[in-house]
Amino acid sequence: MSGKMRAKQDKLDDIIAYSEVAVRNNAAVVEYCRISMAALSGGTAGLLGLTGFYGFGFYIFAILSLWGMLLMKAGGQWKKYFISRRSLLTNGFFGGLFTYVLFWTFLYGMVHVY
Amino acid sequence: MAELLLDPNIRGWVFLPIVVITFLVGIIRHYVSILLSSQKKVELHQVQDSQVMIRSRLLRENGQYIPKTAFLSRRHFFNNEETGYFKTQRRAPVSQNPVTDPAMMTDMLKGNVTNVLPMVLIGGWINWMFSGFVTTKVPFPLTLRFKPMLQRGIELVTLDAAWVSSASWYFLNVFGLRSIYTLVLGENNAADTSRHLQDQVSGAAMSMPPNPKAAFKSEWEALEICEHNWALNGVDDDLLGLRNTSDSIENMYYQSKSGL
Repeated sequence: MSGKMRAKQDKLDDIIAYSEVAVRNNAAVVEYCRISMAALSGGTAGLLGLTGFYGFGFYIFAILSLWGMLLMKAGGQWKKYFISRRSLLTNGFFGGLFTYVLFWTFLYGMVHVY
Repeated sequence: MAELLLDPNIRGWVFLPIVVITFLVGIIRHYVSILLSSQKKVELHQVQDSQVMIRSRLLRENGQYIPKTAFLSRRHFFNNEETGYFKTQRRAPVSQNPVTDPAMMTDMLKGNVTNVLPMVLIGGWINWMFSGFVTTKVPFPLTLRFKPMLQRGIELVTLDAAWVSSASWYFLNVFGLRSIYTLVLGENNAADTSRHLQDQVSGAAMSMPPNPKAAFKSEWEALEICEHNWALNGVDDDLLGLRNTSDSIENMYYQSKSGL
């Protein structure tokens, strides 16, 4: 989590100034977290031998828990770091899904098939 | 579902090598494209054009932080009917025909060499080298429609569609490892082909608009309808602490809207 102060808010006019560099940096950090989370949870699902809908459910669970953890880390002031909470949850869903399926299939194959 | 017992040698000599090969080919592709990438030679007026475009865009985006007179005078410089930059500059459309331009040809060739060729070559090689193996089983059910696609080279009628051949395992790797490259090689790496488009959109300073005239015209329109909303109203009072009670340093930078 970058400690950069991103949002500067004017109380009267409700105009928010965003620092472009910091926004991009935060997005990159979150992207890293998401890829790592997808890989790790895919590995876990493979090791546990989840199949079918349980596996995809586990991915949803992993994404949600990552979201929860990010918001917990940001504390009550998530508006300081991210523009919207929902895009934090939904961005990069399918890119992560591919990675998840790869690791899931890989470890499932290694452990349970052979 | 009939369980299959696969030879562990398939794991050692087919399953794992495909992962390793795919990953390392991606890494190599990244470095080869860095090696092959050449500094683009651009004309002076093209650089000028692109910089003007960037300045105009910045004015549109951040114009509310400068006083209205400053904003108007900048816009005047770009948009004035007689003397504005966008009005007076007459650029001939740059010929973008890639066939006649040898530099473009070389660039395209390099792009193909680093992106398309390895994909086809390695894919074909893996298809040929590891053909006929039932490599692994995907842990989710697939419909029978996927069978001819995923089990190419295994022609078994009764085999469940979840068992896949080496070629499809390779493609799964190609798609899945894409984001791993971001992790390994950093943002905007060359191995990730899907990012190339975004690079072009976000626009490095060197990239010039293909047709300056049209670009100028659209930029002129965008700037013309851009209004000036003074964003720093009362910021001096804020800074001096005259208007609200800001007891901590942080409040100077961040004042919550809803009191979170």
